Amino acid sequence: MTAARLALRSLARHPVRLAASVAGIALALTLTLALDAIYTGVANGLTAYIDHTGADVWVSQAGVRNLHMVASWLPDTVVDQVRAVPGVTDATPILYSTDTVAAGDDRGVAYVIGLPPGAPVGGPWSVVDGTGQPTAGGVVVDAAFARRAGVTVGGQATVMGRSARIVGLTEGTGSLVNSVAFVPFADFRAARGGAPVVSFVLVRVAPGAVPEAVASAIEAKVPGVTAMTGSAFSAGERRLVMDMSADVIAIMDGIGFIVALVVVALTLYIAVHGSRHELAVLKAIGARNRVLYATVLAQSAVSVAAGVAVAVGITAALAVVVPRTGVALEPALTLASVARTAAVGGAVALIAGVLPIRDVAHVDPLTAFRRGGAPA
Amino acid sequence: MTTTLAIRGVTKQFGHGATSVEAVRGVGLSVESGEVLLIMGPSGSGKSTLLSIMGALLRPTAGTVTLNGVAISQLPERDLPPVRLREFGFVFQDFNLLAALSALENVALVAELTGTARAEALRRAGELLTELGLAERVAFLPDQLSGGEKQRVAIARALINDPSVILADEPTANLDSSNGHEIMRTLRAVAKERGRSVVIVSHDQRIRDIADRVVWLEDGQLRDLMTMAVDPVCGMSVEHDRAVTLEQGGELRFFCSRGCRAEFLGELDGPAETRPARTGPLASLFQAVRPKTP
Repeated sequence: MTAARLALRSLARHPVRLAASVAGIALALTLTLALDAIYTGVANGLTAYIDHTGADVWVSQAGVRNLHMVASWLPDTVVDQVRAVPGVTDATPILYSTDTVAAGDDRGVAYVIGLPPGAPVGGPWSVVDGTGQPTAGGVVVDAAFARRAGVTVGGQATVMGRSARIVGLTEGTGSLVNSVAFVPFADFRAARGGAPVVSFVLVRVAPGAVPEAVASAIEAKVPGVTAMTGSAFSAGERRLVMDMSADVIAIMDGIGFIVALVVVALTLYIAVHGSRHELAVLKAIGARNRVLYATVLAQSAVSVAAGVAVAVGITAALAVVVPRTGVALEPALTLASVARTAAVGGAVALIAGVLPIRDVAHVDPLTAFRRGGAPA
Repeated sequence: MTTTLAIRGVTKQFGHGATSVEAVRGVGLSVESGEVLLIMGPSGSGKSTLLSIMGALLRPTAGTVTLNGVAISQLPERDLPPVRLREFGFVFQDFNLLAALSALENVALVAELTGTARAEALRRAGELLTELGLAERVAFLPDQLSGGEKQRVAIARALINDPSVILADEPTANLDSSNGHEIMRTLRAVAKERGRSVVIVSHDQRIRDIADRVVWLEDGQLRDLMTMAVDPVCGMSVEHDRAVTLEQGGELRFFCSRGCRAEFLGELDGPAETRPARTGPLASLFQAVRPKTP
């Protein structure tokens, strides 16, 4: 406690130095946190459709375990087979493809969903204008995409190579990299040559039934399919996206770590160098080296903790502010991300605190007797 | 009185071979409890080196340093910090207070380093500072204190662990005459009222007035011991040729000042009962001291 108090007082005595140090650390860690938040936001956007379908179980072509950049084709007879499995309340087939949607001057990648009429699951979950059930020749598009494209309900969009009339606008279906568009099941099938296939079967289970058990039962009774709970399917999708960004995040983590380390180490070096006389006085009056080490480590820890807190604050603020700017981006700050940044900060504090220990150990208590060493 | 600190045949050599320097050469002396020992000498004579050796900050090349019967010069390095912490109180020329801590915290810190609980350390520090006339300055940072106040805080810091020996290095060098005198009286009071040994290294001739014994160090060796007379009123040691004297009944008496001689002769105004009452061992010195602005 004595060391911690000494550290705090010493830091508080040089507020500008402390502020510069904290700002440097915060900036470095914000790079990492913000990038992670952006990727998490993108992943949230990409899994938004899966998370909001309302399906308890996703049935796909055998081996298909996510939505992004895959193709899943099942004969449409599978739908009845799935429906016959005990525990299944209803089974809704959907068609799915990654395609482009164009309107006005804008063009974007979209998950295009072919939705049967009156589908109980799989449709848009937040309709802000028009209808959520696309009718023949119609398409429901993301509202943010429509704003960027300068179109509204009644306007035209090109989807799957065909012109369609916009019949509804939805919220929460857009991300930095794509959006979700809903077309009638029949239109989708026609655009793909009319083959009697479906991409996925969305299943709702009976009250009291366990989705995992139902998924296992479907796999057991229906050949050639993979059945996963909605949460597992979403997790697979998220894992895929985060795996794709993991290398970038790791690089930024490394850069953030190095920058933060350099900032803290330099600040501590200056602090230790500037307080050599006081350290000598403490040694002269009988303080053991370990008290001085603890003081330096505590200074490092306090600086880094403040830097982490500021970085988290900045990133949280970005997560609130950025979506309001109209950018199709919703950075999401997660506890896991904060924990990882805190761990990085902990490592920075430890290393930066250990580096000057050699200097501290070599402080000669006799220098306490030298004139002019300390103004106080 | 008992011998607190004794050094025998102490030599300190810096460097090796042709460039080696002997800062201290075969010095031996002892300090009794309640005694004020002044070490004087020209610059570079080895005074600070000797003080550092006495305070377990520097190991002698030869000879022994004994504190309360324990040869501390033979102790391993790791055992010396606790000895310095508990057995020595250091008073520096530059005060050397930690600038980030208040006066109270500067003093309490030294007690906390011994493992004393913070509340108790603060209580003791507060008592000491009050005794030293700094009751209203406890929350001040060193930068907000005058030189004399800083040195009194440093003395409180030196005293808080109730050490056997106070080692003071040029304690009045950065003080004006008034504050210097005040610090000298305080150091003497520490010796006489608390029974501590006080060793002072100084160029300041005024400190002779409070010393029981003065040793002269030159070229690392003790040269000549001066004999001092004791003022019968205040107890200060005074040199015969610098003292105010009074011949009475064929006996020659020595005083540190005309005031003490006047008091001896009963010429001072007012009965003793009107003098300030003590509330602590050093309180009599500081009852009338008002806080000064920095």
